[in-house]
Amino acid sequence: MSKITIPFGPQHPALKEPVNFSLVMEGERVTESAINLGYNHRGVEKAAEERTYLQDIYLVERVCGICSHSHTTCYITCVEEIAKAEVPERAKAIRALVGELERVHSHLLWLGIAGYEMGFETLFMYSWRDREQVMDCLELVSGNRVHYGINAIGGVRRDISPAQKDEILKRLAILEERTKYYVKLGTEEATVLARTQNVGVLPHGKAIELGAVGPTARASDVKRDVRKDAPYLIYDKLDFNLVTANTNDVFGRLVVRVLELVESYKMIRQILNYLPEGPIAVKVPAKIGPGEAVNRYEAPRGEDIHYVKGNGTDKPDRVKVRAPTMANYASVSYMLNGGYLADAPMVIAAIDPCMSCTDRAMVCDKKDGKVRVYGWDDLRRMSIEHYKRKGVDFSKL
Amino acid sequence: MSDFEKEEKFKERLEAGFGKDISEMTIQRKDRVWFEIKPERLCELLKFMKDEMGFNHLATVTGIDEGEKLGAFYHMTDTHSIITVRAKTPRTAPTLPTVTGVFPGAERYERELADMFGIKIEGLKPGRRYPLPEDFPTDQYPLRKDWKTADAYPETAVKQEAK
Repeated sequence: MSKITIPFGPQHPALKEPVNFSLVMEGERVTESAINLGYNHRGVEKAAEERTYLQDIYLVERVCGICSHSHTTCYITCVEEIAKAEVPERAKAIRALVGELERVHSHLLWLGIAGYEMGFETLFMYSWRDREQVMDCLELVSGNRVHYGINAIGGVRRDISPAQKDEILKRLAILEERTKYYVKLGTEEATVLARTQNVGVLPHGKAIELGAVGPTARASDVKRDVRKDAPYLIYDKLDFNLVTANTNDVFGRLVVRVLELVESYKMIRQILNYLPEGPIAVKVPAKIGPGEAVNRYEAPRGEDIHYVKGNGTDKPDRVKVRAPTMANYASVSYMLNGGYLADAPMVIAAIDPCMSCTDRAMVCDKKDGKVRVYGWDDLRRMSIEHYKRKGVDFSKL
Repeated sequence: MSDFEKEEKFKERLEAGFGKDISEMTIQRKDRVWFEIKPERLCELLKFMKDEMGFNHLATVTGIDEGEKLGAFYHMTDTHSIITVRAKTPRTAPTLPTVTGVFPGAERYERELADMFGIKIEGLKPGRRYPLPEDFPTDQYPLRKDWKTADAYPETAVKQEAK
């Protein structure tokens, strides 16, 4: 049978974000695959060098829309390490709390997408409805649904009140109840089993060789979780299990994520009951360094690593970000090979890819073939004009 | 000594095998060791760390511009500790060997070094650029310190002057 090369993406109904796969097909089977990335490169690392440490928190937060807290926490621990700042225990607990809430929202989001990709849209509707519970918790704690903006150099920006704690616990109970259903569904439902078992196989040895991280690695029985291996924040004080599976396929990745939800609920309860009294932030000077630090963080998708170098000014000399999806891409090619074309969206979705994280870089808006860059002032002016047309005047703000 | 027993052991093992090619070895804190290696022995060292010391995960490679020299930091981890291996190469003719023979997953990190810093990676199999687009000028390396955003996007320069 003759071979045909099919381009898959960067714009494709089965992909939510821009990435391109070249799939060499023999009939229905994929025999070779190559991944082309870079469609979302925004130059974040260069931009970070041109901004102050404080401004970089907001920039780094926008590396990703889903694991935004992961990136700021990872970046900020590096900055605090260089500045030799002692972060108060309460601030660490609040960071860990938001981190776990974020993991819950990310895994529920993934579960919905997995349901959608396997043609089980009811699951998508259910899990995204339940995800609103955790989104509400995040909004309650931080005031925002997506970019929480909770981290500040030396601590956090908002405290948690007893009323907020009660509200989170109330919603947690709902989520725990619903997750029981997802565990049952994920392990027993015929549709799920048929679509995920023995799909996108990544053997244990290959996962290590290709540097897989997070749930993708843990589903191949690689016991790797930064929260356990090199505890940061207050993870050494929490009691939780490292979830792994040994099926090496998409089914394993689903099981790992669903069971991690249960572990996260446990951790959120422990953190809320632990919350030590005390300040939530310490003052850190604007000029930091010289020095360098490298730190890791277990983001919902896996190990996130940041390297920061300070030179004694208020701007970093170098900020390096490596998001988990980047580490997992090497494995995707391997997982696609030998599988069916129809399984490709499922296999790709199973690593929970996040292109913005992976590519990072330069914001340019193309209009009429000309390159235009919108600055902060432009955006502010445009938004004020936009609201003026609607009869609201924000220009005095 | 007692505080950093594990780290001291790493140091001893590395210096026993690669003593004369290793320099500036520092134990920064618990679980963090940094040192520099001569680029000729980079692959050999990473293979040694992977096979003999359990550092089987290359977390990422950070490129860095230090003026006269360009560097690549290989952040190696055994899941608990991070050992950062520095390899430096002169700015005038920057070349480093590929480590894809030891860590196949490093391919994209190396392409990033080539694209963003202009470090020639010897032995890296030909392929598409990453992360810059195919039509980006091949003589411009955005993450070098002397590169300004205006070099590739003059429109931004006009805007900055107007301010």
